Amino acid sequence: MQLSQDAAEKRIAELRMDDLPLEQIYPKPHPVAPDWFQKYHELVRQFTTTLTDSIQELAFMNLPQQDFIDLVMGRRMPENLSVRFRVPLVWGGKLEIDNLFMCMTFPHSHNMDRFIIEQAGNESVWLPNPAKKIYIPANMGNSGDGGNATEDRFSQLAAQISTSHGME
Amino acid sequence: MTTTEFLSSLKSRGAIIYPPATKRDIELSNNALQSRRCAMFPAVLIELYRFASAINIGNGYIFSPIEIPRDARFPIPSIMDINMPLGNIPALRGKTVFGRNDLFWFAFDAFGTFYMLDNLNLRILRKYDDPYRAMYDCLIAGKF
Repeated sequence: MQLSQDAAEKRIAELRMDDLPLEQIYPKPHPVAPDWFQKYHELVRQFTTTLTDSIQELAFMNLPQQDFIDLVMGRRMPENLSVRFRVPLVWGGKLEIDNLFMCMTFPHSHNMDRFIIEQAGNESVWLPNPAKKIYIPANMGNSGDGGNATEDRFSQLAAQISTSHGME
Repeated sequence: MTTTEFLSSLKSRGAIIYPPATKRDIELSNNALQSRRCAMFPAVLIELYRFASAINIGNGYIFSPIEIPRDARFPIPSIMDINMPLGNIPALRGKTVFGRNDLFWFAFDAFGTFYMLDNLNLRILRKYDDPYRAMYDCLIAGKF
């Protein structure tokens, strides 16, 4: 059933992501390059190395220090983190960093999948399109073990990593 | 390929393999799937669960008959937690979702056929005669 904006916002709120911005698109099949999968993996790796500018959000994810380092060095994706397309490739999304965002796999990425699947066959589809590179629901952002100490520590690490990458 | 060879191959690729499920957990989960008209576990998955419950590589997951707690992180949902809210989706009728990564979902049907599904609309992208191949694709596609 085609969702109005109100209905889409209500459904995403039921999935406990009521602050997640949505974008309406009219999906039309687009050809995808045969080598998209290899490029996708490389792009995800590049994307994670840009997350040194998202320290505040990473601090709220309760990542152990080694996971944080591995993530922003592009070595390894820590447990329960997912990188998603804002607009899927088959619907015309580009294989570009600006078309990606990160969130927790469970419950958020999985529930975003459900939200999109429930709209299958509709003329238009509402897609999650968070404002920042990392989506953390507001109801999680004020709790947990994150906070200033973690943020300061990650900021220092990020600065060191950026310097070692020649990014400053 | 045997289950132990499969798990050994995954371990060498950095998989996190969670402790086996009990026979009772498998039976309870199987009964719950049956009562919700989902496909019941094929023999190969029951055999796998005797050695490992959930398996995780990067964002690739094979779900377990039981929820897997993970310290400060959100637990890995059980196979029932995953499938219960999906009961009204026509594309999944008669199928059970057993795995996912950031691009695809994976399911089996009552005949023990395994499938790769598009995570946008659950369209069947690939049908597998070899269940180990399906599980391998599910996990390795999630490796960063």
